[in-house]
Amino acid sequence: MADALAAHAPQFDDAEQQRTASNLGIWIFLATEILFFGVLFAAYAITRVRFPDAFAAASRLTNLPLAGTNTAVLLTSSLTMALGVHAAQHGARRAVVGWLSLTVALGCAFLAIKAVEYRLDYLEHLVPTLDFRYAGPQADQVELFFYMYFFITAVHGLHVLIGIGCIATIAVMAARNAFSPDYFTPIDVTGLYWHLVDVIWLFVFPILYLISRS
Amino acid sequence: MTNRTYPRPMVYVLVWLALLVLLAVTVSSAFLPLGWANTPLNLAVSVTQAALVMLFSMHLRSAHPLIKIIAVIGFVGIAIMIILTLFDVLTR
Repeated sequence: MADALAAHAPQFDDAEQQRTASNLGIWIFLATEILFFGVLFAAYAITRVRFPDAFAAASRLTNLPLAGTNTAVLLTSSLTMALGVHAAQHGARRAVVGWLSLTVALGCAFLAIKAVEYRLDYLEHLVPTLDFRYAGPQADQVELFFYMYFFITAVHGLHVLIGIGCIATIAVMAARNAFSPDYFTPIDVTGLYWHLVDVIWLFVFPILYLISRS
Repeated sequence: MTNRTYPRPMVYVLVWLALLVLLAVTVSSAFLPLGWANTPLNLAVSVTQAALVMLFSMHLRSAHPLIKIIAVIGFVGIAIMIILTLFDVLTR
């Protein structure tokens, strides 16, 4: 118990209160992230309600096999992150480093698959401004969908990139023995951020890729 | 800290399996010609998946009440923003 008492900063009563405070802090940040993506979802909802047929046609042009694979990759990275946090709770340093490294690898795999997907989109002339060609009806509205598609997935990809940077950093910190079962706040809050990026993708995926496949 | 209990790792594995099953459900449902019902079905699956991640992986189930409130506020904020905006667009 003496170690636990020493493990908190002077402004907190105990380690538990310190942990709650840092968790509250990251959750407030995550709520702002939810609202940030909420604006994009709202813009999407308005345009989709106005142009349902164009959005359905455009959605069929997206690459479902790659995006579905990517969803599974991201869900798996969420599992490895949760197991990393679990290992940190029990002070298993080598397991922490292992799980976090695996999470970084899966995050990189997600971005690599996304890059391949962007390249295929480009080859199919689906990138607005750069090279957009569409022969069917409502070409402008289809192009509008692809503006949204690239903006939402790019902003989400940026969050994945930031997450990879954070997880790599705490993996190095863990390898240098910076954490203990009484203090692993950076792993805890980075895990929460990573799970939220996963949650956001769970909504991005169906609204962009699954509008109408039948 | 002896009074602190953590979920067993098996919980995360089960959540992961449930998420993958739900992913298969949502993808395959998109190929069924359900008309207007396709999108609500996809979104219902997404909400279920998000709830699983937030309750178990993000430990919201055992979190401090204040943290639960903050988490809910984010989603309530989104709901208000989208629903009120759609009121305008749909009633023009």
